[in-house]
Amino acid sequence: MNDVLIELKDLVKIYDTGAVKVLGLDRINLKIKRGEFVAIMGQSGSGKSTLMNILGCLDKPTLGNYFLDGEDVAAMDPNTLNKVRNEKIGFVFQSFNLISRMSALRNVEIPMIYAHKKSPAARRERAAMLLEKVGLGGRIHHQPNEMSGGQRQRVAIARALTNEPPLILADEPTGNLDTASSVEIMEMFSALHKAGATVVVVTHEENIAAYTDRMLRFSDGKLISDKKNENPTAVRDLSIFEGMYKGESHVS
Amino acid sequence: MFLENVKMALGSLRANKLRSLLTMLGIIIGIGSVISIVSIGDSIRKMFSDLYKNYGVTQASIMISPYMDWNDLRDSDDFTLDDFNNFKRIFGSRLDYADNTPYESIDVKVGRNRLKVGLSGVEYNFTDFQPLKILNGRTFSEKDVGERKPVAMISENTALKLFGTENATGKHFRADFRGEVQDFSVIAVYRKDLSPIEKLLMGSQDKNGEAFVPWTILTGPADTFSTIRYYGKKNFTVEEMNSLNTDIKNYFSRVKNRKPEDWYISSVQDEMKQVDGFMGGLSAAIGGIAAISLLVGGIGIMNIMLVTVTERTREIGIRKALGASREDILVQFLTESALLSALGGLIGVILASTLVHLGAMAFNMTVVVKPAIVIIAVVFSAIVGVFFGIYPANKAAKEDPIVALRYE
Repeated sequence: MNDVLIELKDLVKIYDTGAVKVLGLDRINLKIKRGEFVAIMGQSGSGKSTLMNILGCLDKPTLGNYFLDGEDVAAMDPNTLNKVRNEKIGFVFQSFNLISRMSALRNVEIPMIYAHKKSPAARRERAAMLLEKVGLGGRIHHQPNEMSGGQRQRVAIARALTNEPPLILADEPTGNLDTASSVEIMEMFSALHKAGATVVVVTHEENIAAYTDRMLRFSDGKLISDKKNENPTAVRDLSIFEGMYKGESHVS
Repeated sequence: MFLENVKMALGSLRANKLRSLLTMLGIIIGIGSVISIVSIGDSIRKMFSDLYKNYGVTQASIMISPYMDWNDLRDSDDFTLDDFNNFKRIFGSRLDYADNTPYESIDVKVGRNRLKVGLSGVEYNFTDFQPLKILNGRTFSEKDVGERKPVAMISENTALKLFGTENATGKHFRADFRGEVQDFSVIAVYRKDLSPIEKLLMGSQDKNGEAFVPWTILTGPADTFSTIRYYGKKNFTVEEMNSLNTDIKNYFSRVKNRKPEDWYISSVQDEMKQVDGFMGGLSAAIGGIAAISLLVGGIGIMNIMLVTVTERTREIGIRKALGASREDILVQFLTESALLSALGGLIGVILASTLVHLGAMAFNMTVVVKPAIVIIAVVFSAIVGVFFGIYPANKAAKEDPIVALRYE
């Protein structure tokens, strides 16, 4: 298995709005190894959201290459991209993006439904197990609107883990949360990292980035600094996801 | 996956109960009216064919064409007794029954009771082919007819009016009959069991009395008559009946020196065909109306699906981000519109068959709602749903996940 999970080579993204062309990302070269815990930082307009969309295979680069797990994403057709998103990426969004009229359990099942692999019973079992792990074992039948922000984000984390994707991509995951919930969520990402997942967090907050091992700063579409964080914020319990990410795929 | 889609679709329909119901209304009304009309049509058709079965589907009668010009009519066009007897001799092997349909109205007086009674002359074996229920007494014998006996089978109603009782067998009544007073003896009282539609078609004959007498009483040796009524053999097919009718026409053409098209044969089979044709036309007209209603219903579904897709843009974005393919989204929304429409169809079917059965109960009729029609209706409404769901579902499938995820 390739040691490098993400490799960007001279990656350029240009937005063509018709009248003007906007340079979203300017020749980014970047490698993220398997198991890293990375923060992508920058002010709004710095290009971090653009990078997030490209890393998440929701958008394609205009120029350059993006290798995810050794495969060139820029060359993929839409249906292959769907499959890649489904199998290799777990999303955690700022606004949770849970489907409101479905229970926590059903929400967590969705990625498995689109993987078309597991039986309904097996899906339910795995979804319940994941919700248990994120501390929502007693709330699996609650709907999102019956939960607090922190609980919703934990449902989203459980959903991101369903197909055990190598890359967990979190876009401002604490942006809509109070401090206590933010700590809770970041500690979960730390634990996930400890269990072996590659976690990329997009944020503009220093204290959130402080949980990670590596900080990438963006400004005006350029990568301006790439620093190791020798002293990540201490976390109380790193064992929540112990035993996951042993390398066996849950999709095939 | 199919079950998953159905589950999802049901979930979202349930989330908008009132809206779903209102959307289904067009389909409900469309399918409901089709089912009602088809069922009513089938039932009427069945009633007619039952009615004709009662009277014998091989019944027919021949007369000179009523469409002929008055000036072309000749005295010889009427049938004589000889004509009738020859007819019976020649075609007897292919006939169950024949008479010359004589009819006469007489004024009957029993004590203080006066009543106009219509006498119909029939053959002795008439009761073998007509649905008469004999309440008391006996039917005609060959001897009654052969010896021109003044015996009568009177209807229950007539018996009650003349004698105040339905047990009138053995009683007598007198009437002025062809210039002299004739004494008739009652040999039977009968009841005609009429279905509601027969009552409807024949009208109430309560005012006057009716009775059957041997045809020989009403037909003198020198009398002529316009119509010969006959029954082909009971087991005759339509083709055999047709060839019998043609042979009879040809026969009388030869005897009476007429062209075959100068004769008019009215047969039960022709009447049945007419009813069928009428019902078929009615069904086609209603089908057209139903098609318009389904079209309107389908457009309603398309409209509401477009609203649904817009409302759920974000959901579509989420699903795509989580790995749903275009086909997954397409199938999800198609399932929803098909289910919406099929559910409407099903409700329409249930509503219609309830209404039809209630109506039938009120009119004391039997109705048939054919299972095949029900299945076709539901499947067809599902197809309507799929058809009108294609555009909205395709719109959903084409959403760009980045844009959709940002949708508020």
